[in-house]
Amino acid sequence: MTGKNKYSYYVEKSALEVEDRPRKFLQAFAAVLEHSSYSLPLEVYIRLSAKCSRCAAACQLYEATQDPQDIPCHRSERLLRIYRRYFTKAGTLAARLLGRGFTLTDEYLDEMADAFYRCTACRRCKLTCPMGIDHGLITHLARWLLAEIELVPKALQVAVRAQLEGVGNTSAIPVPALIDTCEFLEEEFQDIYQVDVKFPIDVEGAEYVFFPAVSDYLLEADTLMGNAAVMQLTGGSWTIGTGNFDGINYGLFYSDRMMERIVSNVVSEVERLKGKKVLVGECGHATRSAWFIPTFCGEEAPEVVNCLQYAWQQMESGNLPLKEGVKIEERTTYHDPCNIARAGRITEEPREILKAICTDYVEMTPNRTENYCCGGGGGTVSIDEIRAFRTGPLGQRKAEQIRATGAKYVVSPCANCKKQLRELCEDNGLDDVEVIGVHDLLLRVVDLKPDAPKVEDREAPEEMEQELCVPASVGAAAKQDLNISDGEE
Amino acid sequence: MESFLHFVRGPGFLFAFAFMALGLLRQFLLMIWQIARTYSRAGDKSLPYSAIAISSLEWVFPVRKLRDQPVFSLTSIVFHLAVIIVPVFLLGHIELWERGIGLAWPGISNTSADVLTLVAIVTGLALLLQRITAKATRALSRFQDYALPLLITIPFASGYLMMHPAINPFPYTLTFLVHLVSANLLFILVPLTKLSHMALLPGSQLVSELGWHWPRDAGSRVAASLGKEGASV
Repeated sequence: MTGKNKYSYYVEKSALEVEDRPRKFLQAFAAVLEHSSYSLPLEVYIRLSAKCSRCAAACQLYEATQDPQDIPCHRSERLLRIYRRYFTKAGTLAARLLGRGFTLTDEYLDEMADAFYRCTACRRCKLTCPMGIDHGLITHLARWLLAEIELVPKALQVAVRAQLEGVGNTSAIPVPALIDTCEFLEEEFQDIYQVDVKFPIDVEGAEYVFFPAVSDYLLEADTLMGNAAVMQLTGGSWTIGTGNFDGINYGLFYSDRMMERIVSNVVSEVERLKGKKVLVGECGHATRSAWFIPTFCGEEAPEVVNCLQYAWQQMESGNLPLKEGVKIEERTTYHDPCNIARAGRITEEPREILKAICTDYVEMTPNRTENYCCGGGGGTVSIDEIRAFRTGPLGQRKAEQIRATGAKYVVSPCANCKKQLRELCEDNGLDDVEVIGVHDLLLRVVDLKPDAPKVEDREAPEEMEQELCVPASVGAAAKQDLNISDGEE
Repeated sequence: MESFLHFVRGPGFLFAFAFMALGLLRQFLLMIWQIARTYSRAGDKSLPYSAIAISSLEWVFPVRKLRDQPVFSLTSIVFHLAVIIVPVFLLGHIELWERGIGLAWPGISNTSADVLTLVAIVTGLALLLQRITAKATRALSRFQDYALPLLITIPFASGYLMMHPAINPFPYTLTFLVHLVSANLLFILVPLTKLSHMALLPGSQLVSELGWHWPRDAGSRVAASLGKEGASV
């Protein structure tokens, strides 16, 4: 019994045994209001909310289901109602004097548990709310409060447990396996490209300490090889720390308490290695979580750089050598991960890179800050049991967008988006589409031997052509060698 | 009736208007105080000020927002313009202010006021109609969402009839009374309903941003107060 019947996702068995949940929920709510920053928005939102439904038109889920419970404002009202009743003077007074107002019940909490995991917290609706209400913030808070009464998808909780109390990362990769993987990838560079590219491990004093989504070590060999190639070619001083090599932070999806602990561990590892900056790999939520480092660790904490920002900066200043005359010729499009694009923080760097290395780059519309979520945001992608929902109503809009571009490559610099987009394409008949990372494509076009004789000087250009085709299969080969299935996350 | 009329235009109006003004001021100051408190506790004090300023201005003057849902947006914007301009810039109203507190400002012609009054009534009813006919708004609406647009049309309709006695089927005093009572009622309702966005809207983008700026140890403090320090995940 894992509780699948009760909720749309599995919860841990212990979650079904929690007693006195409404009281515990309100206790947690009171503590959060006292110690965090949520009372400001809640206090303003309960007065502002105009119920105009503009958010309904912005939500890809409501667009697909037309179910009123999927309107962002309707969902947020579930939490605002509790706040109004139990945490405002008017609400408590009305309840006492008139015996009016609603009472928080177990059923109400169960409904909330389902409702707030139908939202991916993509925050697209925030852009259309005339009152400036951030429904993503409400989802974020509601999930935390639910987690305090153990209502949290098992998939997320198990991953965080592995990271904070188990092996030390969400994919439960032991250090020897990490080292093996890195050595294997170095060998791949030798075998395929005959170059010596390093994955530096535990180098003290490096400028950048690298935190990809740890699942990349299992699933995205090409992305990591692209990262390593860019760092090596640009002379970047970087390292992977064996104390902590996981940028994933599911705390962002269900608990500020967990988020704080995970972020602190990232900073501790940078300090242990006497590094200067956090270099985040291709992962949207890992990047956004890392942007919270100043929140949890003070403004003196290490600076956060996303690998796309690094790569474009190097490319723009001419430090990243590209193979002459080699470009990605298949049609390529870019999916903005909500966590880095919604607030407009990283939208142009990946586009500039792609435009520089692709001959047929096309945009999806809408894009950048107004993009549609892949359908797997807010941690929902890790909940395998809701795949039909994710690739159905939740992802339908994205599937249509991809189809309209006619692209062969859908590029997204995010481990979660990539997993979701692959499943989305699989379930929506987009069989010819390949979902791939920015660095996977970069790996194909960077000149790994900038000092070697150029293409035209070589005797057999065909050989060069062959080389270009190889990297696409590296990921598969690496996975086979490591005996890892794609299903793992 | 005369004495009642005398009451609602005198002390009644004063009370209602003061209730609105002080209520809005209180809400605004409370918001500012909470913003300051949240900011001072925040671990990360860097805010995207220009982005916040731009989005705040874009919603206070929502011209650029016309491209999504153009019919609804246009109706809403025109409605807002009319209900702000007419009561503030009607020559008759300005005259009353001048008589009362000695302050005057330029007004709009009575013809423009007539047109805008009709616009306010029509767009107010159109907004209500949109609310009733659209599935999404119907699902969201509370009593106040239906009642307020209706209530707002009453002082405008009665005001229009007062200005045009020839077409007014009701006695002048009654029309005047309805105008005063409905307006006073609205003033009182402003700080108590969603109409308080009059004071809160300019700060809401900043508020939403600050909601993400937590105190440095918020998580561990919550854990401590719930007795969950050191508890397993």
